[in-house]
Amino acid sequence: MMELREFNNQVHPTPDYPSPYGSQHSLRLRTVPPQETSAVQFDWASPPEDAEDSNEPPNLRELPLHMGLKRAVWQVQQMKIPVVSSSWNIKQSQTFRRFCEVAKHVLSYFVLWKRGIQKIGGHFGGGVQSYFLFLRFLVILNFLSSLLIAGFVLIPSIVFRSMNFNSTIPTTVNLTGVEICLQYDPKPDTLMVFITYFLDLISGTGFMEYSYLFYGYYTNFNSMVESNGFSYNIPLAYLLTAAFYFLFCFICMIIRMGGTARVAVVTGGGATGGYSALVFTGWDHGLQEDRTTKLKQSNFRYRLQVDLEEERLKKKSASLTLSQTVSLYALRVFLNMVVLILIGATFYGIAKATQFSQLMKTTGFKGLVLQYLPSMVITASNFVVPLLCDKIALLEKYSASTTVILALLRAVFLRLVSLGVLLYTLWEQITCEGDISKQNCIPCNYYYDEYKCWETRVGQEMYKLTLFDFLITIATLILVEFPRRIVVDHCSCKLTQWVGRQEFLVAPNVLALVYSQTVVWTGALFCPLLPFINTIKFILFYFCKKITLFQNCQPATRNFRSTTSNFFFLLVLLFGWMLATMVLLYSVTKIHPSYGCGPFRFSPTMWEVVPQAAEMLNSTSAEFLFYMGSQKFSIPLFIFSCVLLCYVSALTSVHGKSVALLKSQCKLEQRDKQFLVRQIEELNATVQKEQREPQQPQRETDTATRWNQHDNYAFDRDEDPRPY
Amino acid sequence: MGNKQTIFTDEQLDAYQDCTFFTRKEILRLHGRYHELAPHLVPMDYTNDPDVKIPLALIVNMPELKENPFRNRIVESFSEDGLGNLSFNDFVDMFSVLSEMAPRELKAIYAFKIYDFNVDNYICKEDLEQTLNRLTKEELTPEEVVLVCEKAIEEADLDGDSKLSFADFENMISRAPDFLSTFHIRI
Repeated sequence: MMELREFNNQVHPTPDYPSPYGSQHSLRLRTVPPQETSAVQFDWASPPEDAEDSNEPPNLRELPLHMGLKRAVWQVQQMKIPVVSSSWNIKQSQTFRRFCEVAKHVLSYFVLWKRGIQKIGGHFGGGVQSYFLFLRFLVILNFLSSLLIAGFVLIPSIVFRSMNFNSTIPTTVNLTGVEICLQYDPKPDTLMVFITYFLDLISGTGFMEYSYLFYGYYTNFNSMVESNGFSYNIPLAYLLTAAFYFLFCFICMIIRMGGTARVAVVTGGGATGGYSALVFTGWDHGLQEDRTTKLKQSNFRYRLQVDLEEERLKKKSASLTLSQTVSLYALRVFLNMVVLILIGATFYGIAKATQFSQLMKTTGFKGLVLQYLPSMVITASNFVVPLLCDKIALLEKYSASTTVILALLRAVFLRLVSLGVLLYTLWEQITCEGDISKQNCIPCNYYYDEYKCWETRVGQEMYKLTLFDFLITIATLILVEFPRRIVVDHCSCKLTQWVGRQEFLVAPNVLALVYSQTVVWTGALFCPLLPFINTIKFILFYFCKKITLFQNCQPATRNFRSTTSNFFFLLVLLFGWMLATMVLLYSVTKIHPSYGCGPFRFSPTMWEVVPQAAEMLNSTSAEFLFYMGSQKFSIPLFIFSCVLLCYVSALTSVHGKSVALLKSQCKLEQRDKQFLVRQIEELNATVQKEQREPQQPQRETDTATRWNQHDNYAFDRDEDPRPY
Repeated sequence: MGNKQTIFTDEQLDAYQDCTFFTRKEILRLHGRYHELAPHLVPMDYTNDPDVKIPLALIVNMPELKENPFRNRIVESFSEDGLGNLSFNDFVDMFSVLSEMAPRELKAIYAFKIYDFNVDNYICKEDLEQTLNRLTKEELTPEEVVLVCEKAIEEADLDGDSKLSFADFENMISRAPDFLSTFHIRI
């Protein structure tokens, strides 16, 4: 090794003769002292195995050297610049880098609430911060969607309406027999009491019903604008905007999921590694507050004790007798049945409440309560049922992590499916259970008597759900959380100390956001301003939750695995999106639009506007579009995407296998290194022994034979075998 | 470019920008913070690279580090003399590595240094016990401490020498998904 070092010094001379490879090389050799090298166990003295970084300078930021050394390297790099041909390139890349950094810095000013969320992370940790990051993502998504809808649907409608166009019935439509369906008169009374005004505002009826808020106000203005050589097909715009809105949300979610998934996949899900990972990566170094740190420390102790307890339990359960195991499983099955019955009862309650509220006709305050009945039942069940499930889970005796996952799954199932039940009940009533030959649905293909404009009614339901969710959150804040804090702080009896301050539970809060967003997606086709309302709602949520966090809450005592849970929450959001997409597709293609209102009133289904519009294009485009929609195109496309999927999954499995291989190779190399070090020590010992006894030549041959026996091909026999 | 400042020369700022993950503005802000820690020691004019070091006791009083149980080890690992006296170079280096833009490999190197209390390039049982005591404020029973240390070494030790070398540590870190987000101090 000594010879090797001298050899290097001869070939690569001292640094006053700068060359791209040699200067840094010898700089490393010269300036990095030996103890520095071994401190990080990096073999700086050996030349890099691959020559790829001999052409470009090493990324200085990522070198684990002291700053003084890094600056010296930087200065050397700067010195080698004045080579005429490459100076312009280097200067260009430098200025480009500077520009990128400035641009990034400027863009960071536009990041919404950056400082606020950082402060939350510093005080409450990564788990709570991830909730606020998710909230910010949803705010931006809703804001961009409302811009999309405003630009393509709202503003053209306002413009055309202000130009006083009347909507006329196109001559191509045959309207015999359905004249009764055309009657729709939602215009409110001009004289209104304030209370009626307020009731209308929060239930979407009266003056709110016939406004830009709901589907019913938009009409098909496309037939008269052609006179100026400019035509804007509002029905087509309405439909395509809704489709693009869904696609846009889908893409945003997939991109965000991709980022989270990459981390989760690379680290193997993080389930393994247990104690070592907890000890070395569990402490959040960003915590800055005294109270939080103390709590985090007791949280740590709690977690370790829980883990140790779980191990003990696992050992105990592994040693259960057969009868005990059977009884435990029987108990679990029974309790799962109980949970299912509970959830089933909730769905029945929601269905009945929806039917009751749709058919009742009272006005005034009682009418308002009846209108909000489905929302109230859903919110109550979303509060009560998870509480009961938690109590039941105590009896089921699963491990702590399984209990958490099970509770989350049950809560998600409850929330999304209860929304589905509400929609199903509405569908049942509007389309007479899908059977258009029933008495009520005869002339108009939908239940005309009750639902003169069924899309607006659906939109109103979604609007009410959104509003009620918001009101309940604010009410909980004011009526539950603040008083709780005041009571806990000022009354020092045992009960209040046991109850303690509110804890900010991330999972239920995130599920509430997912539920709100699903409601907005479902209602966006029927209530185009709903994304905008939701943006405002979520912005207010941010400020309210932040206030309650800092004023009323204590940091969570239970830890929160942010990386894998982030992925899970995005997955649940995706399920909500799929539910909304199913509703959209069904209502666009299957249900007959209202005759009395809306932009699609004269088409048999909402989808019909698209082929009609495609026909009006010139023949090649029309043919192309029709071809794309036909089976001749979609089946090969489907087959092709299956092939692509197979390829990508094969690639994934190959990568996974190579990761496993590299890991085992790592282990093997460690063992090899141990073996070689032991060999060197043994040899050293024998060499030293024979130096003390030089007159026994057979020892040497013994050593040589032993040396040969071990076949130590890494060393030349004549080389100095001192360890390096 | 930008407003005229007289704390650093342009060349110095370029060097800092290339050697750390901070922008010009952030480096100037860091200098302000550094100066705040010891206004009588730290000159406002750094154009001739004065050799000024702030002692450990003043650095660990920063609000970002005050409550961190590993504050002494963190500052010691980034100091050139190993005793925790930071020059401005070391100060910037420390927050650059602890910022959110530093890659996993770089953070792992310094995390290993920090958790190696006796500076012998291995994380042995005693180092782990000290780490654990700081994490739990010494409220675990001695048996629990021993048990957790044994389990942790058992999980991460690949070469079977009952202590963690850097390779073991890095391998274990690569499997922990939260490392990047927890080994991060915001300034």
